[in-house]
Amino acid sequence: MAEAPPYSEKLKSWDRFEAERFSRKAPITTPYPFIDIEKPPEYRGIPHINPEKCIGCGACANVCPPDALIMEWDKEHGVKRLTYNAARCIRCARCIEVCPTGAMEPTTRFEIATNNKEDLVEVVEHKLAYCEDCDEYLDFTERQIEYVRNILPREIFHLYALEDRIKLTQEEKMRRTVVKLRETEGNIYSTFILLNTREGGEE
Amino acid sequence: MVTTRDLEAHFEFECKACENGHCSKADVEKILAERKGLKDFYETFKEHIRECKRMTYGQYMFVIDREILPEAVLWWHNHPEFKETHLSTAVGTDERPLNGKFAFIPFLNVQVEPLNMDGNYWVFLKTYMPADDPSFPSVAAKLPAALWIEREVKDLLGFNPINHPDPRRLILPEDWPEGVYPLRKDMDYKHSPITEPKTEYRPTPKDTSLVPMGPVHAGVEEPAHFRLFVKGEEIVDVDYRGFYSHRGIEKTGEGRLTYNQILFLAERICGICGYQHSVSYAMAVERLADVEIPDRARYIRTLLLELERIHNHLLWVGIAAHLVGYDTGFMHAWRIREPVMWLVERLTGNRKQYGMNIVGGVRRDLLDYRKEEVLKVVRQIREDTKKFLDIALNTNTFIKRAEGVGILPYKVAKAYSVLGPTARASGRKIDARLDQATKTAMAYNEVDFKVPVYKEGDVLARVLVRMDELFESIWIVEQLIDQMPGGNIMVPIGDLPEYEEALGFTEAHRGEVVHYVMTGEKNKVYRWKVRAPTYNNLPAIPEMLKGYHVADAPIIIASIDPCYSCTERVQFVDIKTRKVKVLTEAEFNELSIKHKGVF
Repeated sequence: MAEAPPYSEKLKSWDRFEAERFSRKAPITTPYPFIDIEKPPEYRGIPHINPEKCIGCGACANVCPPDALIMEWDKEHGVKRLTYNAARCIRCARCIEVCPTGAMEPTTRFEIATNNKEDLVEVVEHKLAYCEDCDEYLDFTERQIEYVRNILPREIFHLYALEDRIKLTQEEKMRRTVVKLRETEGNIYSTFILLNTREGGEE
Repeated sequence: MVTTRDLEAHFEFECKACENGHCSKADVEKILAERKGLKDFYETFKEHIRECKRMTYGQYMFVIDREILPEAVLWWHNHPEFKETHLSTAVGTDERPLNGKFAFIPFLNVQVEPLNMDGNYWVFLKTYMPADDPSFPSVAAKLPAALWIEREVKDLLGFNPINHPDPRRLILPEDWPEGVYPLRKDMDYKHSPITEPKTEYRPTPKDTSLVPMGPVHAGVEEPAHFRLFVKGEEIVDVDYRGFYSHRGIEKTGEGRLTYNQILFLAERICGICGYQHSVSYAMAVERLADVEIPDRARYIRTLLLELERIHNHLLWVGIAAHLVGYDTGFMHAWRIREPVMWLVERLTGNRKQYGMNIVGGVRRDLLDYRKEEVLKVVRQIREDTKKFLDIALNTNTFIKRAEGVGILPYKVAKAYSVLGPTARASGRKIDARLDQATKTAMAYNEVDFKVPVYKEGDVLARVLVRMDELFESIWIVEQLIDQMPGGNIMVPIGDLPEYEEALGFTEAHRGEVVHYVMTGEKNKVYRWKVRAPTYNNLPAIPEMLKGYHVADAPIIIASIDPCYSCTERVQFVDIKTRKVKVLTEAEFNELSIKHKGVF
């Protein structure tokens, strides 16, 4: 298979098919709905969630101006649901900018007319992490924890004892901190470390 | 050459707030001596001025007593030296959660010397009103430019402009109940009560018949309802009811969005001058946060603003040709325009709604190989437009319909604070690109261009102003591409200061766009006010229509390049206003039937 040209080359060489016709003056209209229109590579079309890369952090839902991306928690079933609705999307591509894993993928698709509104909705469901001590689901997903594991250096992990604590709920973590504090009474240094642990675990 | 670094607002001193004039300890004398005219104003109204401060570079605020509000506004507006000074607009704010008062802030674009951005400045005249009696003496009774804005604050905030000549509903729809004020902070942005519709049209004057035009405009394809009162073919008077596309954008912005999300909402206020709104808003927030954006970002913004102006003026001249029945011109103007849209699509990712801005810079860099394409396209446009104008301006269909029609005299233009090409066609030498310090967000101070001004004031003059501007824009684009500096394209903003106010402004294709931003806590916006140029231009339409034929009405209305969506981001409804004396509504209506014309 021939190798695809690099993206920058593609940007330079791309030209719209109407351009040649345009230089000839007439006719310059195109029978649009009956032909396919290719948008330039820079075009901001509707984005698409790649479920394999998505970790369910919700950064996209936080920045989305028109609420086209919504994050919902279903604690009973242990599911965190990211819903993308192309009908609400204004194609500003903020979600693509902020996504930490590149799961929001830009496309050049622009035709979203449909008979069925459900075609426009993309849903990604994530499994929430589970705290066995409290018998409760956490606020964040298993993939988020996995992501934190991968990006945090090993030493920090050990320093804050994250291996044990990362899958605990906020209450359980605080409870354990209090217990630890009692044990290490008077040792200010370790107290300091334990207090900071919470932030590390939350991501 | 002046660069942004020269701005005093960016010098670093020990107390930044003092240096900026925000701080209560800042030296009032020193601030007043900064610009010509401030001292005189202070001396004249000394006993009524409670506070004065510099909000940001070139923007000054006086807190004054409400009794002297009309005098203070008129002092600036009729200043014998500052000829082109105009009442830009006003903001009503519900500041009850902060200090238990309402605030009404008219602001003026003071022009010490036309087109000198370091000499001119904005003046904010802030008036506090007690929560139980939000009333102030009406400025509109003496200055027609304030007509709409006072009706707007009456609708949206429940203020009472005493002795307003035309206190009908302007913005809110007919089926909105009395006494519910959407912009007050105690109302939720989702709340939407409905009652029985109640229309308040002006009665038809005696011996005239009514020709309704609308509710959708024939040429501009946007909702606006003109009621023309005619005697035979001649238009005697006009009533206007608009604000059908009010979307409550300001409330949404204040209610739930963060400051970066509002940017995208601001861009969607208008389908044509979206980028102007976006830049204005970004500029206001950058002024607040006191950040200096990179030079490259300023250049890219200016480039896109000018490309937007080019395609908009071509679009407008097409519509104008269409409305006078010269459809060949319409087709050709839009054909010439299309390559700009294609170019912008490749530069930014979309034909319109560029989405290029972020507070603190731009989001996409301009790749170097694109520069050649920009030049190629604008040069092609220059050639084509020259050819087009050569033909169009020698076509009798076009000239006969445009010449001597819809004349707006200079005095009326000034009294209504008409802006942009409409004002320049009537001899007002104003252009917000150079009038005010746009240099923090745009690079107009570093390029050379002329501001075309015509004296005739008719539709043809408006066509010619726009076409001259188009060639100037092409020239600006060429210079920008030539001078484009390197470097970063954005700086992070971080946290915004709380309860600071600032103004952002650009010269859109129709006039000056103004965004007033007051920050709240936690990086939210407490008050966001948008003033599109059509808001000031539309009240002057009845003055242009009077005395012309019904057949001329579409082209006269279109000649200000009206954009109802931008104007109506907050709802309003207007009707032409006339005689300006202290009257009750009934008396006013009576009088309006008897008299004809104010000027």
